[in-house]
Amino acid sequence: MDYGYGGGGGGNYNTTTTSYGAQGGAGGGGFMAGGSQDNASGGGKSARNDTLRPVTIKQLNEASGHDPDFKVDGHDLAQVTFVGQIRSISSQTTNTTYKLDDGTGTIEAKVWIDSDSAENPDTSKPKPVENGYARLFGRLKEFNNRRHVGAHIIRPISDFNEVSYHMLEATAVHLHFTRGPPGGGANKAAGAQTNGTTDAGSGGANGMSGIPSGMSGAASKVYNCLRTSPQSNEGLHVQQIATTLGMQINDVEKAGDELLGNGVIYTTVDDHTWAILDC
Amino acid sequence: MGEATPRITAQYLENFSHQTVRILGKVTSLRGEQASMDAGGNVAIMLNRDAHIQLNHAVEIVGKVQNDLSVRVLASTDLGPATAIDFNAVEAVVDATHRYKEIFYGGDD
Repeated sequence: MDYGYGGGGGGNYNTTTTSYGAQGGAGGGGFMAGGSQDNASGGGKSARNDTLRPVTIKQLNEASGHDPDFKVDGHDLAQVTFVGQIRSISSQTTNTTYKLDDGTGTIEAKVWIDSDSAENPDTSKPKPVENGYARLFGRLKEFNNRRHVGAHIIRPISDFNEVSYHMLEATAVHLHFTRGPPGGGANKAAGAQTNGTTDAGSGGANGMSGIPSGMSGAASKVYNCLRTSPQSNEGLHVQQIATTLGMQINDVEKAGDELLGNGVIYTTVDDHTWAILDC
Repeated sequence: MGEATPRITAQYLENFSHQTVRILGKVTSLRGEQASMDAGGNVAIMLNRDAHIQLNHAVEIVGKVQNDLSVRVLASTDLGPATAIDFNAVEAVVDATHRYKEIFYGGDD
């Protein structure tokens, strides 16, 4: 499944936002990495980590680091998506600047005007209007110590529920990065969906560290337990994993066999103590 | 940043008196400059001159909470008929806003 902003494998964040991108006219291709405005930001690095992260404007204003190495919750920031109410629109010769407010802060977003579309304006797409909500896709930039977003796409929001959705998604991703994936059976679907994002930042170039697809629910639970629990380099004993997850020992053993067979974990001091294989 | 307008519902009014907040609700009554809306409970609002709101529409207001817990509107956005809005999701957002305020309006933690 490649939605176009993949690159690092492990860095893919496959959520339903992708369909919004398509709706918003990503068919035009303006959303692909390597667009003209990206060349300045060091091609090599951005190509490795081309994740798309939903954020609040406060998170953008408070992101640590400097262009192009911003971090949010300790993870590299690449593409971002957010929503906001448009406070002002100012059209310049080369770009349109929007001031956006999502209730958490305000930020300016610049959308560069591409000369083709300036000559043949596309009138079929709805245009963002002042005081309306819009969704943006872009990258955080810094110029003269002022932050703005270089937006690839700005699209008016027609269904307000998308704003609620975005705020909840941004919260879920923030919690995922600060507290780890959701545990417990009730959240299994959500956990599986975000699998692999754990390494988006820490794994760096390592595209192999996600769990392979097609693993059982128990296997991915055990894997996530091994990934997130504090441990020495000897890893965790089967007994510890079973206690943490509230699973039967033989179920953990079975899940472990599956993971061992796929080469994502390895045995350490004995056959029943496992650690994650990530190098 | 100091520019945040936290999303709240009726129950949070007391904690935000004299602050600028953002409330989404359904307009339940409209009399001249006075109106009320349902946002997890009743909220009395005082409109400004250029507020255009309609009965039974969902409206999002940015306003300042007064001493008597009514809200003086600074800006309002009509979001169309209230039936189109999932108020459970709206409430979940308000809940998340205050539970995890580090990404919405609070200082670090």
